[in-house]
Amino acid sequence: MSQYGQGNDGAFEIVYEVVAPRLEGYLRRHVRETSRLEDIVQQTFENMHRARGSFIPGSQVLPWAFTIAKRLMIDTQRRTGHEVSRDLGEENDTVDAILIAARESGEEVVHAVETKAQLLAVFSRLPEMQQTVFEHVKIEGLPYAAVAAMLGITEDSVRMYTHRACKALRAVAGGEGRGTQND
Amino acid sequence: MALSPDFKSRVLASVKQAPAPTRRQALRARLWLFSCGIVGALALFFVKGGVRMTSRPPSFVALTAVGTAVVAGTGMWFLFTRGRSTLRRPRSLLLAAAILSSIGFVVWRTSIAHVYGLTSPWPTRIGYRCLAMSVGTGGLLLFAALMSWRRSDPVTPWATGAAFGAGAGLGSALLVDLWCPVSYLPHLLLGHVLPIAILAIAGALIGRSILGLRHRSAPGGRKSSARGETL
Repeated sequence: MSQYGQGNDGAFEIVYEVVAPRLEGYLRRHVRETSRLEDIVQQTFENMHRARGSFIPGSQVLPWAFTIAKRLMIDTQRRTGHEVSRDLGEENDTVDAILIAARESGEEVVHAVETKAQLLAVFSRLPEMQQTVFEHVKIEGLPYAAVAAMLGITEDSVRMYTHRACKALRAVAGGEGRGTQND
Repeated sequence: MALSPDFKSRVLASVKQAPAPTRRQALRARLWLFSCGIVGALALFFVKGGVRMTSRPPSFVALTAVGTAVVAGTGMWFLFTRGRSTLRRPRSLLLAAAILSSIGFVVWRTSIAHVYGLTSPWPTRIGYRCLAMSVGTGGLLLFAALMSWRRSDPVTPWATGAAFGAGAGLGSALLVDLWCPVSYLPHLLLGHVLPIAILAIAGALIGRSILGLRHRSAPGGRKSSARGETL
């Protein structure tokens, strides 16, 4: 992105290759219609292109792209009246596959599916900021500093929200997943 | 389901169609426009009389000016620049910079005035003239800052505008400090600090429409600007 900001037009394709899959994964959890999702992704890249002169060389591009996409998503929601939801259920197939692969007996599969449902329910009841921070840190894998810059809060706040969200989810999972890197 | 190669070529084609300034071009344009704002503010300052010593000792004027320059300069640096991230500094930090700079300015000015025994009330100088002067000079700086960054903030245009407004207010405080002989606290608050808040609010309101990127209409939607609501 730094090279693209300095006028190397060919670098945009590399930016697209890196950013587009991450943006798509993020937006799929919020936007169900593919046409609307593609529209937001396209507008995000157009905005990044038009604001390339204001990109600071060496700074991270992903938090910037995510923030632009998020603003556009909410703007689109306001215009069209569609509700933007945070739907981790989009990951259901993946989560199911992992859970089933990890369990051998049928009883454990049932337990795993029930746990997943409970986790999703608990997650949906978390405060908005905790959900957002958890999504960026744990699902998107963004660093604390990047999430802090995206949300306009301090790194300590990001750590606190992540910790609280993890604590709430662990209470359901019975302590599974303890000791992850970002917590 | 991944994005199709067809979609990729569509994005690349749409990007090629829209001209966008490079970093060097953007910096040059910003420097030029912001310089115009500074020259305009200085012109207004000198038209209105420039540095007015009145009965103030030169050392008092020098001391208050140096202190105000340090405080306002630090605040302006925080408010106008972005640090190492393309995303602007956290809103809490910007707010803290604006408030602490304003407090620092008032504390410095009244402290020095107290040392020189110049804190007596001026019933005829409530502060309206300083208010007008501050809003005038700061308004020019704010306008230049907003124009130099127009259509380039896809993230939080209102917060950027507010930061620019507060920064411009601090810049005007430096000029008006040289112009105004009154160090009476209520006068300072009305004529020198209130304009910082006024310009910050004006910056937020104007920046919301000037700084945001306009994007093409989405399916089922109309053309609008990317506005920076808190998420």
